[in-house]
Amino acid sequence: MAERISFSATINGQKIGPMDLPQDLMMVELLQEYLNLTGTRLSCGQGVCSACTIIIDDPDKGSYTVPACVTGVTWVNGRTVRTIEGIAGRDDQGNPVPSPIQMAFLEHFAFQCSYCTPGFVNGATALIERLQRQPIPSDQVEAAVLEALDRHICRCTGYVRYYEAVRDVILSTPGLTTDGPGTDVTAMQEAGQ
Amino acid sequence: MITALRILGVLVLLGIIASGLLFWTSSRDVQIPPASVDFASLSPSEHDRLVERGEWVAHAADCAACHTDPSGGSDLAGGLPMVTPMGAIYGTNITPSRTYGIGEWDADDLYRAVAMGIAPGGRNLYPAMPYPSYHRITREDSDALYLWLMQQPPVDKPNRRNDLIFPFNLRPAVTFWNALFRPDPEPFVARDPQNAQGEYLVDVLGHCGECHTPRNLAYALTDDHLAGNVIEGAYAPDLRADALVRRGWNRDDLSQFLHRGLSPQGVMTFRMFPVLSHSTSHLSFDDLDAISAYLMPQQPETELLARPPAGALSAEGHALYTGLCAGCHGEDGRGQPHSSVRLDVNTTAMFDNPINLVRVIAEGIPERDLAHGERMQAMPAFGDMLSDTEMAELVTYLRKRWGGQSAEVSAAQVADALKQAH
Ligand code: FES
Ligand code: FES
Repeated sequence: MAERISFSATINGQKIGPMDLPQDLMMVELLQEYLNLTGTRLSCGQGVCSACTIIIDDPDKGSYTVPACVTGVTWVNGRTVRTIEGIAGRDDQGNPVPSPIQMAFLEHFAFQCSYCTPGFVNGATALIERLQRQPIPSDQVEAAVLEALDRHICRCTGYVRYYEAVRDVILSTPGLTTDGPGTDVTAMQEAGQ
Repeated sequence: MITALRILGVLVLLGIIASGLLFWTSSRDVQIPPASVDFASLSPSEHDRLVERGEWVAHAADCAACHTDPSGGSDLAGGLPMVTPMGAIYGTNITPSRTYGIGEWDADDLYRAVAMGIAPGGRNLYPAMPYPSYHRITREDSDALYLWLMQQPPVDKPNRRNDLIFPFNLRPAVTFWNALFRPDPEPFVARDPQNAQGEYLVDVLGHCGECHTPRNLAYALTDDHLAGNVIEGAYAPDLRADALVRRGWNRDDLSQFLHRGLSPQGVMTFRMFPVLSHSTSHLSFDDLDAISAYLMPQQPETELLARPPAGALSAEGHALYTGLCAGCHGEDGRGQPHSSVRLDVNTTAMFDNPINLVRVIAEGIPERDLAHGERMQAMPAFGDMLSDTEMAELVTYLRKRWGGQSAEVSAAQVADALKQAH
């Protein structure tokens, strides 16, 4: 069995590789030790706390998250990945602009030490993107946030502000709910829907 | 034409007579052994001793496995569905509630229900109640169980109607089934006096065969006792001694598995997890060792070692393993204590039928408090990440690398396994 693999991927929009890597390398180590992307946090190292959550962009299924601590480079090989470093947008001058989720976490004072925050940002971002593909009724939003973020562990904040921040972004963003902003309820009713 | 009609008529008549006879043989009153004690004149100490024994019987017979209330609160108030090919059957309320439970029953009623599947008034129980196994319960144990049950808090919760399809929703029809498949009650006499306790626990109270023994078309247990069976979408493995030895079991590990829910060979999953929490974790090591010795009359001498791969391992399977599994289970499959099981000697990859392996990978396993302080963290579900082809690659790889199974599992088998699960 080959002990090393040739690895290529697109990470935060940049082509990486081909690189010669140990075949049993985990993603968190690739990011931190080989690519100097140190925003992905390592905590439990066994897929439990979600601190190390990164996003995989699948052309067919859309985005989903994996724990970088226990996801090997052999799974990511050839795929497209986003880490916390790739979440913010850019303004006209090329300066970073926080994403709506990042902004909401700041506005809600959602984090304290921030160790868990990159994981929360990625988990919440993937949730928003899922709702873009499959909007839900607004009365199911709380449950959806809980279901998506429940696995993220935070030792500082008590979670409430994180939850409120994500819920507010979902309820105020057009297209994420079937009956929220951007859906013209009267027009739909008239059309008999 | 007339002759044909006559023959048909005679056949119908014969059919009716035969069914009538069958009905009669099985519904006639079978003699039951008399009560083992005089309930009216029990001394307090004798009463307490029997209640204690009754609690042991309830654990060993795993009443709660089916009669527990899934909404919580009581292990005996009923409502848990058992999914059969004929539809769902719901566990009943066996608390001493006078309206909804068994509060009006006497000890003879309980014996008839447990050993024969007949409730008061001659109403048939469905053989989801394992009376084909319990029929050898001793009258003493049935009476002790009766006293213990009557001491439990009554819960006034109505029973839920079964969702069975026609004709299985006709209770009287069970009489025919009973005539053909129900053994008469015969209080326990050990076939193997060397280990009567093990036999009684496995074959009678523990009713292991109800899941682990293949069933025939009429859903009755076949003679292939404990030969393994797919039930409720999972494979209940072959428990015959040679099969256990082949999968690397020894008596000590088996007892530990029943005690704590975990051993190097695997962790309690699917319907065995409730069996652990309601039943086997409550049994003493004397009982568990008797079970292990009954299942494995010879203690194997061999050390528990990973077997050599059963064929060439595919690079795709290996990449999937290192990409998704090795982070927790280790590149060498050795696992980590309390978080991820060993795979190198795990028996799930050794079964001929891959259904359990596919389902565990697809559905994950919730984090669990097993028993006696043993616990395991959650295993994530990979069903959404893997196509059937990738799952087949991975499952084939695991089975070849550690399971001694050289056969390739196909994507169609994976799809089939996932379908059976739901
Ligand atoms: S560090 Fe990856 S899940 Fe905890
Ligand atoms: S903000 Fe400190 S761990 Fe979450």
